[in-house]
Amino acid sequence: MNDPRSAPPPRPSIPGTPATSRPAISGDAPVGGGESFVRRAGRNLIFSVYGALRAVKLYPVENAAVGKALTELTSQSNELIASEQEFELRISGEFIFVNETRLRLDLDNFASFSHLLSLLRASGIGTVTITGTVTNKDWMVFLSVLQSASSDDPTDRFAQMQDKLQKAGVLVFSLGPPTDQGEDSREKTKERAKRTYAQSVSVTKDLMTSVRMGGSPNIKKIKRVIQGIVDQILNEETSLIGLTTIRDYDEYTFTHSVNVCIFAVALGKRLGLSKLQLYDLGLAALFHDIGKSRVPQEVLNKTGGLTDEEWRMIASHPWLGVLSLFQVRGVQEIPYRAMVVAHEHHMKHDLTGYPRPIRSRQMSMFSKIVAIADGFDAATSRRAYQTVPYTPAQVMAEMRDNPRRGMDPVIVKAFINLTGIYPVGTLVILDTFELGIVHAVNPLQDMLSRPIVRIISDAQGNLLHPGDLADLADRDASGNFSRTIIKTETAERYGIRIGDYFV
Amino acid sequence: MTSPPPSAPVPTQEPDHPEPPFSPAPVEELLRLMVKASRAHQLYLPNNPIYRGAVDALRAGFATVWAETDELTLVVAETEMKWCDVSVLGDGTKSSDNLAWLFYKDGVRELRLEEGLEESEMVKLLEIIQRARKASPDEDDLVTMLWEADLPHLKYRYVDLLGDGGADELADGGDSTTPAEPGQVRESAQAAAEESRASGVVNMADFDATLYFLDEREIAYLQEEVRREYVQDLRTNVVSVLLDIFEQQSEPETRNEVLENINTLMVFLLTAGNFRGVAQLLREARAAVERGTDVTEEQRLRLDALADRLSAPEALSQLLQALDDTPQLPPHEELAELFDQLRATALSTVFLWLTRIQNDKLRPLLQLAAGRLAAANTAELVRLVQAAEREVSNEAIRRAGALKAQAAVTALAKIMSEPDASRRQLVAQALTEIASPGALQVLERAIEDADREVRITSVRALTGRAYRPMLARLEAIVKGKSVRDADLTEKMAFFEGYGALCGDSGVPQLDAILNGKGFLGRREDAEIRACAAIALGRVGTAKSLEALRKASTEKDVVVRNAVSRALRGSSGPAS
Repeated sequence: MNDPRSAPPPRPSIPGTPATSRPAISGDAPVGGGESFVRRAGRNLIFSVYGALRAVKLYPVENAAVGKALTELTSQSNELIASEQEFELRISGEFIFVNETRLRLDLDNFASFSHLLSLLRASGIGTVTITGTVTNKDWMVFLSVLQSASSDDPTDRFAQMQDKLQKAGVLVFSLGPPTDQGEDSREKTKERAKRTYAQSVSVTKDLMTSVRMGGSPNIKKIKRVIQGIVDQILNEETSLIGLTTIRDYDEYTFTHSVNVCIFAVALGKRLGLSKLQLYDLGLAALFHDIGKSRVPQEVLNKTGGLTDEEWRMIASHPWLGVLSLFQVRGVQEIPYRAMVVAHEHHMKHDLTGYPRPIRSRQMSMFSKIVAIADGFDAATSRRAYQTVPYTPAQVMAEMRDNPRRGMDPVIVKAFINLTGIYPVGTLVILDTFELGIVHAVNPLQDMLSRPIVRIISDAQGNLLHPGDLADLADRDASGNFSRTIIKTETAERYGIRIGDYFV
Repeated sequence: MTSPPPSAPVPTQEPDHPEPPFSPAPVEELLRLMVKASRAHQLYLPNNPIYRGAVDALRAGFATVWAETDELTLVVAETEMKWCDVSVLGDGTKSSDNLAWLFYKDGVRELRLEEGLEESEMVKLLEIIQRARKASPDEDDLVTMLWEADLPHLKYRYVDLLGDGGADELADGGDSTTPAEPGQVRESAQAAAEESRASGVVNMADFDATLYFLDEREIAYLQEEVRREYVQDLRTNVVSVLLDIFEQQSEPETRNEVLENINTLMVFLLTAGNFRGVAQLLREARAAVERGTDVTEEQRLRLDALADRLSAPEALSQLLQALDDTPQLPPHEELAELFDQLRATALSTVFLWLTRIQNDKLRPLLQLAAGRLAAANTAELVRLVQAAEREVSNEAIRRAGALKAQAAVTALAKIMSEPDASRRQLVAQALTEIASPGALQVLERAIEDADREVRITSVRALTGRAYRPMLARLEAIVKGKSVRDADLTEKMAFFEGYGALCGDSGVPQLDAILNGKGFLGRREDAEIRACAAIALGRVGTAKSLEALRKASTEKDVVVRNAVSRALRGSSGPAS
């Protein structure tokens, strides 16, 4: 018999379906217990932990700043325990949960969240439970141990930390390992990402074809696709971002729109946009090139140089997009935001680029995000008139270093923060002479140049499939990094199709 | 919230529940109460006691269930809901009244309600149920509604009925490539490594991850950008885009499409109460016509017609009605901007509504708009003087006067022959304000109008302007019998007018009235003599003063007072 009252269920909610559920992350309700209280108190607690970590690191123990920070932290944690009768901090992916309530990650707090996540991950900690009343001294010991420098493997550090806490007589913290997804669950996540991606490409194809034929596409299907992408990005973005490396030459227009949508939503998430804002952004991103459905295909697919007239046709797609979007009307609302983004996505930060606006305007933030996602995906793809794509790292460096590209530098910075200096799909040569494909950005914030890579050839040049994953932040026994990127490379040189390693 | 969409419908996984952990009765009761509350939500306002009772009962129903468990998983079948394989809701019908069918038809196959749902989310859920019941096939389905609502204590599983299951398998569709031989790979890798070392250039930005941490200033910038994204007026932004396209693209098809879309947008802007947006659209449309290259006459007319559409009686009446009804008027400047864009054709509607409007805050704005429109469109104003609607015509008469519209005199004169004295009086006042020679001529005739008010207004107006052509007419009146039957005010107006214009030539006549004796030595009545005294005072010559002095010992108090006043006030001939 399945007794619902017995043992609290792990959050992955419905049997047989990986958890895509998330407690609400917005709209703090008045204080007074319940989830909103936990959310607020938890968020404040993270701020205090961050403040105390800095104080403990910067000042001697006797310093008043340390005392003050610890007192505040102690008071907040005890208050939370008194109110909720329990305190469990759990990390999962990029999220922090307090008593099973996910804390809202936004621009105000992402630095503190990110720092704490990095420290806990580096120490192999998945959960921290406080089992009684905590004192300043308990916190001081815990935080000192947590951020003490070490080159050990997280698993070892986890054991060491438990040992150190025990020896110091700090028994109020109970540490648990990461509640990581099992291989089975990871596979399911990957499968779901693939379904989402394939469905998105299919719906985008229908959309563009329908507009080309002068019809009215099914907005409900489009909405569902965006919802799927947003859900996927909010829960586990790596799989979906990995799929953007599939550069289908024949379906470029469609896969490109989907890729831009994925990058934009992922970047929006990084910038702290709410779920519904991500939906707006995703919709606008998916539609950004809809104007191309009115450009003759022979012009879009022309491989040689373009005549002035042909170039004029290509350059008209932003404003043609606006007109096309009047065709894509659900019964409720004209997609105004998508129109603005379609119109502006080739404008530069200073409103140069094309089309040149006549009336004064300020470029929409969503347009700036889509411009970056668009530029990145387009430059790294093989297209009719770009037979040799740039490497992701080259494109990233160009966006970062060349102001004439006209990208918003702050959003570019955030994009690099999202993708890492070596974006997913980059082929890299390691100092071991192995070849690797960047699989995911390193979860450790200060390891952006040391991503997780899939080793696809050994030092002797034997290509491996699928190859093993390696964390470039891993160190050997003497504390040196085991592998380091020395160069990025084009996949064509090795006859490698990057997408094969993500499907 | 849970939303794991499979690519194609899949059979629902039945939870493995050999037997329920507690009696199904509280669950059945909970769902019965939910059905009841959703009906109450449909029928009553939130402050209705029946509605409140239903919601409270539903909360109590949740409390009973939460006493047994902290979550409830319901399997949604076509016409029933099951809990632990026990049917707990369903009447077997496929109607939106059946909650099971309502969820099922949009693809929801499982619901998990968690403790806490009954707090703030329950009412939202009832709203969603209500919206889903009423939704047309083109509107969002229940799954989208649940997704957008993002209720933390409600999880659901669904099959994607919108998915066609036709998504292609993922594959890299690029050219087939032949993997390099191991030796080649090794050599290439080593060569690349050598190249990299040889270049010797290291970009620190590639290695220093901290360069990519956003600082506080950058975070503040992004926050401001997000805020700006959501406060911008998207509709007017799109209007600007469309008009940019209109100006820059001269192909007729493109311009026609833009014009159609602008037409559509204007209606949406009006519907949304975005009056500033409408004003901007109309203003910028004019600019687009002026600046656009190769704008054809037809295109110009179509853009021009936008303001005409808004100014048409039907559209403008609706707008004014809506504004009059709204408890919260849009900002004054916004309305003023909109009214500034109205055309001459709006004038009659504006005049009409000036008499109807109830909203005291709206009236002054409309008054201003009426003034501006009338001033800019005299021909229309003149036309409206003779409008069939009395309110419109009257307002046009008033405005014509206020604007001193000489062009309106002929139209106004025609009204002087109408039987309605109040209208003639309105015209007399307007003509007084216009005071052109033509207007004064009409007023001259009006001093013999059948209506006392019209006569008084006219004679005073003419007196005020020292209109000598009326002297003969006045003299006849002063000598005549009718004025003697008039009341004191009217008598006074005529005599004052006569005194102001007649000069010494009128003194004998006035002297005779004041001091003369008639048949059997009878004098005129005291009021007429007093009026004559006042008139002599207005003449103000030595001769008239002499006539006044003769009456200074007059016994009749009324006459004596008038004489004294005339003597005191007379300081010379009236100009």
